[in-house]
Amino acid sequence: MADKLRTQQQLEALQNKYIGTGHADTTKHEWTTNIARDSYASYQGHPPLLHYMSIGMGQGMERTRMKCMEGMVLPCGPAPATEE
Amino acid sequence: MSNVQQTQAFYSLTLEAPSAITAVVTCNSIPGLKNQDQQIFEARGQRIYLHRIIENEDRTEVSLSTVCEQNVFGIIRGVTSFRIPGTATDQLVIASDSGRVAMVNYDAEKKQFKRVHLETFGKSGVRRTVPGQYLASDPRGRCCMLASAEKNKVVYIVNRNSEAEIVISSPHEANSWANLCFGICALDTGWEHPVFAALEVDYNDAENDPTGEMYSRREKLLVYYTVDLGLNHVVKSWSDTVDYSANMLFGVPGGQDGPSGVLVCCEDRIYYRHDKTAPLCIPIPRRKGSTEDPNRKRIIVAGCLHLSKARHEFFFLLQTEDGDVFKLTMEMSEEAKAQPERMVVKYYDTFPVAKQMLLIRKGYIYVAAENGNSKIYHVNDLADDPEVEPHNTFKSDDVSPDPTETYKPTYFTPRHLNFTSLAVDIPSLHPLMRTHVANPANEDAPQIYAIQGTGNRSVFKTIRHGLEIQEIVNTALGDFPCDNLWSLKHRSSDEYHSYLLISSVHGGKTIVLSIGDEVETIDDTSFLTKWPTVTAAQMGDDTLVQVHARGVHSILGSGAVNAWPSPANRTITAASANDRQLLLGLSSAELAFFFMGDDGVLNQLEDMPEMSGKITALSVGQTPKGQQQAKYAVVGCDDCTIRVLSIELDSPLEARSVQALSAVPTSIEVVEMVEPGSSGTVVSYVHIGLESGLYLRAIIDEVTGELGEVRTKFLGARPTRLFPVSISASQQQGILACSTKPWLGYNHPGSSIYTLTPLVAATMEAARPFNSEHLDGLCAIQGGNLLIFGIPKVDGRLSASEVALQYTPRAMTRNPWNSMWYVAQSDGNTLSQATKDDLRAKAGDAVPAEEFAELEKHIGLSRSTGHWASCIQAIDPVEAKAATSTIELADNEAALCCEVIPFASREWEVYLAVGTGQHMMPGVAPTAATEAPKGFVHIYKLTESGRQMELMHKTAFASPVYALHPFQGRLALGVGPELFVYDLGM
Repeated sequence: MADKLRTQQQLEALQNKYIGTGHADTTKHEWTTNIARDSYASYQGHPPLLHYMSIGMGQGMERTRMKCMEGMVLPCGPAPATEE
Repeated sequence: MSNVQQTQAFYSLTLEAPSAITAVVTCNSIPGLKNQDQQIFEARGQRIYLHRIIENEDRTEVSLSTVCEQNVFGIIRGVTSFRIPGTATDQLVIASDSGRVAMVNYDAEKKQFKRVHLETFGKSGVRRTVPGQYLASDPRGRCCMLASAEKNKVVYIVNRNSEAEIVISSPHEANSWANLCFGICALDTGWEHPVFAALEVDYNDAENDPTGEMYSRREKLLVYYTVDLGLNHVVKSWSDTVDYSANMLFGVPGGQDGPSGVLVCCEDRIYYRHDKTAPLCIPIPRRKGSTEDPNRKRIIVAGCLHLSKARHEFFFLLQTEDGDVFKLTMEMSEEAKAQPERMVVKYYDTFPVAKQMLLIRKGYIYVAAENGNSKIYHVNDLADDPEVEPHNTFKSDDVSPDPTETYKPTYFTPRHLNFTSLAVDIPSLHPLMRTHVANPANEDAPQIYAIQGTGNRSVFKTIRHGLEIQEIVNTALGDFPCDNLWSLKHRSSDEYHSYLLISSVHGGKTIVLSIGDEVETIDDTSFLTKWPTVTAAQMGDDTLVQVHARGVHSILGSGAVNAWPSPANRTITAASANDRQLLLGLSSAELAFFFMGDDGVLNQLEDMPEMSGKITALSVGQTPKGQQQAKYAVVGCDDCTIRVLSIELDSPLEARSVQALSAVPTSIEVVEMVEPGSSGTVVSYVHIGLESGLYLRAIIDEVTGELGEVRTKFLGARPTRLFPVSISASQQQGILACSTKPWLGYNHPGSSIYTLTPLVAATMEAARPFNSEHLDGLCAIQGGNLLIFGIPKVDGRLSASEVALQYTPRAMTRNPWNSMWYVAQSDGNTLSQATKDDLRAKAGDAVPAEEFAELEKHIGLSRSTGHWASCIQAIDPVEAKAATSTIELADNEAALCCEVIPFASREWEVYLAVGTGQHMMPGVAPTAATEAPKGFVHIYKLTESGRQMELMHKTAFASPVYALHPFQGRLALGVGPELFVYDLGM
């Protein structure tokens, strides 16, 4: 039983350290939100990709970057209400 | 399966490194330079560069030269530089995708970057929680912070130890869960504990509230992180809400220089915030004009600070997304020096939209452009005088610093450059939309056709492999082809050339020109004009020597003429001279050698050794500096050999070595050049041009006269002829090799490797150096023409010619029958020409259309959300070098793709098909209220051999058309998820 508890603690530590580490009860909302945030962060972190998207949208790179940042706040809407 | 190739290999070669700038910063990295002489540390794609601005005394010639460049094989996301107290040069810090912080120095001796520290803090890769997205450094050089888009921040404290080594601390983390970082900057706190400011949004509450109520109440915080140097940790020391649209922070000078704190740049407003002082706010002025939307809000995209530490004065230059640059100053209250009372914003100038903008202390502004060429502007005036343009000056007096309060927007009128002037235009290729390799003009090598740029700074480029030449004079000499020319000084001590001799074997004569203010023919001359010349040279102090087939004609300084007739029944076939030595090759395969005494008289060596075959080319080396005679001559014969002979007086014409060649040598030049990669060691090179069009280069061993290190290159189908020239752009000796096109051989100024690059010019018969009072360049024979030209730059190897376009190019296609190209162009969120004309007419705009267009070229197109400006142009890059036809689209339609389609039903006549979209909203999710975008395909008939386009038909589709292709004499097109094949009706 102690082993199981430790595994559980380790997993929690891991989830705390690395955002996006899944668990058995990951919901669809958690998963999609996580993927969307990862994607938005990646768009900003690859300057040529951000440049490409800015030209497509007809705006400056800084505005596109802000849109990506803003998109990270709540990319897939609020979490659905959990049934008690 | 037997015909499947098992080992297929592809090799990629980068012709031009990326020119799009990711991050750039000023620094003082080269030891020994003045503090004013700042360098530019820049990241472009995978490469880091160190640039310097080079100027002449009166600043009429300014250029940007690259001191050092290096590939880092990683994605660079940010750079910064800071001076650690007690060190001589700036530390450069690179944030990349490696999960490590890299500190580098510039090593001036080795001319390369030197790694000082490389500390790991996270996983590699661009990840949302691994720092690297943001980078800021303390202005006093004590620490730097790296932050990620979400959660993590890490601070490194740096120090100098007693051995003058840079010591870096272990990472100090300042992480907060569910926290997004929109930007960071370092505060200037003087010598108190360093503080970093961050713009943060906490999404935890918003995410866990299913009603969406918390999301609508989300806030953006300005957070201060104090680095406690005593306790060695980082603490969150202050936070306050700011305008939710905030996107960028700038640290305001502190300590003795100013109030400290930050500028928080938001949409339409700039705030000053600090934990110790009252906030201030000022709106970002909007553009005034009949075609400008008065409600459009701008954000700040770039900015720089100027701080005069001596006078404790500072100002910011901030650029909006339109490219307008504002000068922001702060006025302090009378009683408390550290209490800012007012912010003043003054419209400065409009530059291309920058990724980053740098103010260089020498008085330049470096604009690292987001799209197109980066530019350096010379600062003529800092706009300090309040009397100048008071209508463009705005104050923060009546503006509430509360983001929820309303305010009155301010307006200014954009104009041409006023306080600055363009100093350097740095060529670039970004953003590159499409390229196509073709050879419609039937040149030696195909060209790369490219569409590049955005908005009205877009261009259609023809890129060629080669150096550009700057043609200064091009005149016809007569109706006979000339084949060689010589530029001569009158005396050896002269600085400039005085005579130009042009020889024509076909015309059987020599033309003598004098070089002065103008280049004109002299009729009355001591030179022989009735025969073609074999060679001509200025020898000794003031003797001019002209060699023709029948003898040697020398004109002494006194005006007396000496003539040496060639021996009976023998003619001179080849000749070469330097300051003192003259070597002739006779038709009998004999060599005649002369040495010039101090009296200017040529003394012949009695011995006339016979070569193994007819002499086709020979060369004596240049006289080395401070010596009387060159050591070796090289003689080439028609039995495909070259021989190295000693020509020193104590062992004249003794054979040293023989080299066999693959073809008959047509031209030989012995040139002394600096050995590449050495620190100025001069080596004798023999350059050999062969009848087969090959070019060879070998080193002559100084002691034995043996030839070694032979390099070969095929230049073209014509026999190669060589001419030693001096290259003014890099101040060194080079060689011009003329085959089907001229090639220039030189030591590359950047890599210092011997490089052979073609010139973008027609075939040259011969070329020589040309120095006059007004020009330091080259002269050449092109058929029957005399060409005088310069080579402005030798550091690139591609050169481009441009045709300006109207809007951002999206697609291009070539007419298969001629050299016409068609370019589909469209700009989102931009007013179309028709709308602008309408608005101008309605507002009664008195500015003439041409003047308006010229200003628009400078300040950019008028923008408005949801509008599209679009056109289709026919471009002739070969003959007209301009657009021959332009069709503007209206009704919010945007051209997206174009293709030239041969229709089988029209006997394979080609038509231009253009796919368009209407009412498109890029980046905006469609709602019920917005109209769904539609699409069209336009068919244009091409007339006047493709120069004009005539609309034949327009077919509507349910969604925008992004792809067109010819398919078996019909048109294949993609509409949404469907593929159609269409034929031309009627």
